[in-house]
Amino acid sequence: MAETQQMKKFKTPSKGTPRAKHPISLDHHIAPQTPQSATPSAINLRRSHRLTAATPEHRPALSSFNTPKSAAKTRKICEDPPSILPTETSINPASPPPVESRKKRKFQEKSAEKRKDSRNVKCKRAADRKVKKKVYHKKVVYDGGEFSAGHDVYVKRRSDASSDDEDPEVEECRVCFKPAGRRVLIECDDCLNGFHLKCLKPPLKAVPDGDWVCCYCVARKNGEVMEFPEPQAGKKRARTAREKLLSSDLWAARIESLWKEVDGTYWFRARWYIIPEETAVGRQPHNLRRELYRTNDFADVEMESTIRHCFVMSPREFANAADGGDDVFLCEYEYEVQWHSFKRIAEIDSNENDGEKVVDNDADWNSCDESDSGSDFNSEEEAAYENEKRNRLSQSSSLRPVAANSRKGQIFGLQKIGAKKIPENLRSRKQTDLEKAKSTLLLATVPKSLTCRDREMNEITTFIKGAICDEQCLGRCLYVHGVPGTGKTMSVLAVMRNLKSEVDAGSIRPYCFVEINGLKLASPENIYSVIYEGLTGHRVGWKKALNLLNARFSDENKCRKDTRPCILLIDELDLLVTRNQAVLYNILDWPTRPNSKLIVIGIANTMDLPEKLLPRISSRMGIQRLCFGPYNFQQLQEIISSRLKGIDAFEKVAIEFASRKVAAVSGDARRALEICRRAAEVADYRAKKTALSSSDASGKTFLLTGKVMAGMADVEAAIKEMFQAPHIQVIRSCSKLSKIFLAAMVYELYKTGIGETTFEKLAMVVSSFCANNGETFPGYDTLLKVGCKLGECRLLLCEPGTRHKLQKLQLNYPNDDVTFALKDSKDLPWLAKYI
Amino acid sequence: MPAFAALRQFPSSDPTSETIVAVTPRKTRLRSDSDAAIGSPLRKSPRLCKEGTPHSSPTASIRKCLKTSLNLSGSPQKKQLSEDFVERQNWNPRVDETQRRAANEALHVSTAQMNVVCRENEQNRILDFCKKCIKEEKAGSLYVCGCPGTGKTLSMEKVKVMLADWENEECIQYPDVLPINCTSLANMNDIFSKIIEKNHSGKKRSRSTSSLQQLQNLYSQQTPGMKMILVIADELDYLITRDRAVLHDLFMLTTLPFSKCILLGVANAIDLADRLQDESVLLVLEYLFLICRTTLETLIVACFHPKVVSSLQSKPMVITFCAYSKDQIINILQERLRAVPYTVFQPQALELCARKVAAASGDMRKALAVCRSAIEILIGDSMLSSLDGPEDQHKPAENVSMSNQVRIDHVAAALSKVYKSPVVDTIISLPQHQQIILCSAVKLFRGGKKKDTTLGELNKYYVDVCKSTSIPPVGILELSSMCRVLDDQGILKLGQSRDDKLRRVTLKVDGADIVFALQGVRFFRNCLQ
Repeated sequence: MAETQQMKKFKTPSKGTPRAKHPISLDHHIAPQTPQSATPSAINLRRSHRLTAATPEHRPALSSFNTPKSAAKTRKICEDPPSILPTETSINPASPPPVESRKKRKFQEKSAEKRKDSRNVKCKRAADRKVKKKVYHKKVVYDGGEFSAGHDVYVKRRSDASSDDEDPEVEECRVCFKPAGRRVLIECDDCLNGFHLKCLKPPLKAVPDGDWVCCYCVARKNGEVMEFPEPQAGKKRARTAREKLLSSDLWAARIESLWKEVDGTYWFRARWYIIPEETAVGRQPHNLRRELYRTNDFADVEMESTIRHCFVMSPREFANAADGGDDVFLCEYEYEVQWHSFKRIAEIDSNENDGEKVVDNDADWNSCDESDSGSDFNSEEEAAYENEKRNRLSQSSSLRPVAANSRKGQIFGLQKIGAKKIPENLRSRKQTDLEKAKSTLLLATVPKSLTCRDREMNEITTFIKGAICDEQCLGRCLYVHGVPGTGKTMSVLAVMRNLKSEVDAGSIRPYCFVEINGLKLASPENIYSVIYEGLTGHRVGWKKALNLLNARFSDENKCRKDTRPCILLIDELDLLVTRNQAVLYNILDWPTRPNSKLIVIGIANTMDLPEKLLPRISSRMGIQRLCFGPYNFQQLQEIISSRLKGIDAFEKVAIEFASRKVAAVSGDARRALEICRRAAEVADYRAKKTALSSSDASGKTFLLTGKVMAGMADVEAAIKEMFQAPHIQVIRSCSKLSKIFLAAMVYELYKTGIGETTFEKLAMVVSSFCANNGETFPGYDTLLKVGCKLGECRLLLCEPGTRHKLQKLQLNYPNDDVTFALKDSKDLPWLAKYI
Repeated sequence: MPAFAALRQFPSSDPTSETIVAVTPRKTRLRSDSDAAIGSPLRKSPRLCKEGTPHSSPTASIRKCLKTSLNLSGSPQKKQLSEDFVERQNWNPRVDETQRRAANEALHVSTAQMNVVCRENEQNRILDFCKKCIKEEKAGSLYVCGCPGTGKTLSMEKVKVMLADWENEECIQYPDVLPINCTSLANMNDIFSKIIEKNHSGKKRSRSTSSLQQLQNLYSQQTPGMKMILVIADELDYLITRDRAVLHDLFMLTTLPFSKCILLGVANAIDLADRLQDESVLLVLEYLFLICRTTLETLIVACFHPKVVSSLQSKPMVITFCAYSKDQIINILQERLRAVPYTVFQPQALELCARKVAAASGDMRKALAVCRSAIEILIGDSMLSSLDGPEDQHKPAENVSMSNQVRIDHVAAALSKVYKSPVVDTIISLPQHQQIILCSAVKLFRGGKKKDTTLGELNKYYVDVCKSTSIPPVGILELSSMCRVLDDQGILKLGQSRDDKLRRVTLKVDGADIVFALQGVRFFRNCLQ
């Protein structure tokens, strides 16, 4: 029955015929790459329609699958000439020495313990191994399907699952429940259901370009309830393997290696794929429906539990596989199971032959190799073979650093290796320039290059390198100071990043780096335990940590295990100053001890911190200082424009205006960036508003031609928003009586020239104001209340209201500000003549 | 070079008079520098100092001084040294990385020297004290004080070693030595438990009594066969708790009749022992009074009791480590550089460094740091010049070898990094509005009537200055945040107040400094006139 379904889906009628016997045909679908390079951003361009009858050349092997439950199992083995070069095949890097275990539960578990367990099993079976060996194959024909290393397959989750009985290889139309047949099925980009063009309401004539979402999903998005039509009674809707996989009833795995056990069963080493729902962060909004993650989790699976091939592609391939059938998936990131982090899969990795994969898991290599060499070998022949194998291994390991160096510590995609979450903006729709500008101007965005701090960064680099490149690594201390927002921490961290890449490249020795922010410590003493945890990974109380650290940094006789130099970065150093300054003393005393190998970099705002400290501490601090002066306007301009490089969103004058404005007041780069970001927001808002208003008339043409750039006016508006003091707005928006009260204060101040006045005098003035201008005098009690309220929001400084008439009052803000705020109030135009 | 001029009036043979001068200028450093700046508005770049040094300080005098130091160290060494001078010519840091490293290591603080020069006198006194105590099996306390960086801790280390040697020779039972840095104690009372652990590690500890009580019990009755213990407490003043109990108890331990504890305390404060003494007299009297429950008469009698007298006399012996004089600094530097088989420094350069450091603080750590940074400057220079081109090759051979040594200008540059007050440079690089604030503050305080003002007042002046030059002023909130930045930079001082407007503002730098820094800009010149 299954076979007939298969027929419908794929036109190539080669059921069961071992066409794939010919090894040549295999190479086609290991990596269905396309020669021309599409841009990676073209993921969205993937056509959603599936022309079910148009894929004959692409996957010849697909046609030859049976369901695994079929009683007759035909096995054919295509061995890569093993008789000629037996050693060659067995040490083929495509097949890392696998962990042998025959237990079914092996492939059930997906946890980190797996490796340990299997190690145990391996020990037990060491005896068996002497007699017989596993035979590795490059490809295996199993159940009529041909599998080889590098293929992706569906794997049954439970061995006894009855739901796996019916496995439709052809998707049915979601409306009429008939398979596609000759007609075209269109796939909804949201729910992935297939629809006949004719079954849709209204029916479509042709497959539309771009994304298409079915009417059910549209309705659901709009908040309506629209049920899918139920199948006829008694008939269950058949679920495809794809649906099962995405609802985690099936698994997908990549075959890393294949072998035949001594008892004749076929096994393969599976590298699991995982669906987004199964990750720690769950499905993220940017995940595509057909997205999978490759994990670093391996298991040995018996061939019997595979179902059939699926096709997991890199984004580029995925974009080009327009009509790839239902079993096409996208995999862009690798998921670290233990650490729940994502890593982008390098392009090279996926395009090249699978032999390179092995480099990734060299831990497996080594451990297996060790255990192998540990076991006894009876015959000399085997021992010789083992030696040869090890020689080869050692050769390859000597080559490995060269291979690692070839990338020069470059980082692909995400900045750290493995991020906890994939940044959303990598995937979202194409941004306008203004939106891009907004996101690059965010303070949290790390700029690609740091400008204007080259001299300081050089100094830091030479400082650190001068210490850690030496053999004996003399301890030293650097104090970095400067006003806020001048890039102190960022420069140091950038230097550390550069050094890290140099360590990765192998040009300098490894070191440990501990970064501490004084503000984040619960108490200054806690720094000891934080340092100790950073160095060793153990968490202890601060008293114990202090003793341990003292021993670590002062003991010269005992050679420590960890002889790496240690770099300690303490941000906000001034917060570590305690009453007797013991914490700072200890930290700064360690570098002066012999063999401490400690480098301390302290960052703080205050310039004269060392002078404020006890002389014994400043004596130990040394003389190395580094000052980060406030930025001048050229530097600010350069910083902003370097961040906006390639984004055409700001007028040049606007940037200059913003940077000049900030440089005149504080020289704080954070503030300059904030102003520009706000200006971009204002401009964006303006652009959208005009687009909305003009959309009736000629919206489309406007969107095409009109390009909004943030100009002077936007920057001006942003500055006004940020710099204008809030008190003026408060005064402007306060009640009528309060305004009269304030005006009376100013009037009184002008008249007497003394800042302080009493409530009694003020009430007189207010009453005269009221009498002259036709307002009703509210009475003393109300006036007193108004005064107290103004005092509460600190517009006034006043004594508590209990003193009543003798209460002393004073303006908290300069009278000019008050005058400015009250001058043109609309409800009380007569106030202007008094002030 | 006012420091130089001042120094030259003193004969260099009298180190104490020099150090008296030397210790004080810390406070007035900013001012003194600014005075110099006013005197010569054309600020000199540090490299010009080479010309600025008096020509009358010739190399001959330094040679003499070198010779004297050589004479001190004995004739065979001198011979070897003079031989070395021939070989030593080829120090070339830019070629040889290891040479630079060696020099750097020799000058690093953590490199402990084999023999500590210039502190032999103090060391011997400490050693004698210890020897006496150990011989007589008598407890005692010694207090070592001195400025930071005068080699106290280093000398203690040395004494420890020398004591061990002496005991090996004399075949006396070596006492337990317990070096403690009091900053590394989590709790001040831990010091007693440490002592008891060290001294009586074999014996069982009773949980009921505190370790202090245990110690007091131990030392107040005769226990035969107990070893002496030598406690070296570094940074002793960290033991000062609010009621000073720990420090007292520690010193009182040494006055107990059968005490076996020799206490060597090290700290910066000179008067710690005196303070201790005053209070310890009171404490002893109080103690006696409580114990004997006697009348005043018996108390007076008790005061003449030999035990009380001895405890009153047990004021710890004080040894003061004076700040290093310039000769001592030169000596020490040369001693350290002897480990390197090349001449790294020109003698004049060393002398300049020594003089300047001795005049400022006599802190050896500073001197070492200056030397190291001078080497770095030299290397940076030579890298630059090697980039410049092949000029070097045309130079005579002597000059090349000389150019590889650290010259006087390198040291001067390094010194200026340490001792130059950065006030003027800081003010010049400030943002404009902050400069206006300083300008208005100078105007405000100009009459000399007022020393401080409030933020509100300052704002008024600031707005006036802004208006007179038609610059839009910033709001008062902005102003107060700018004042906070200036406070961080040590130019202004902001007082504490609940209301921003009423915070007190004082200038922390000399007004003349600000005037000098701002006079380059015409805008401010008009403003300040």
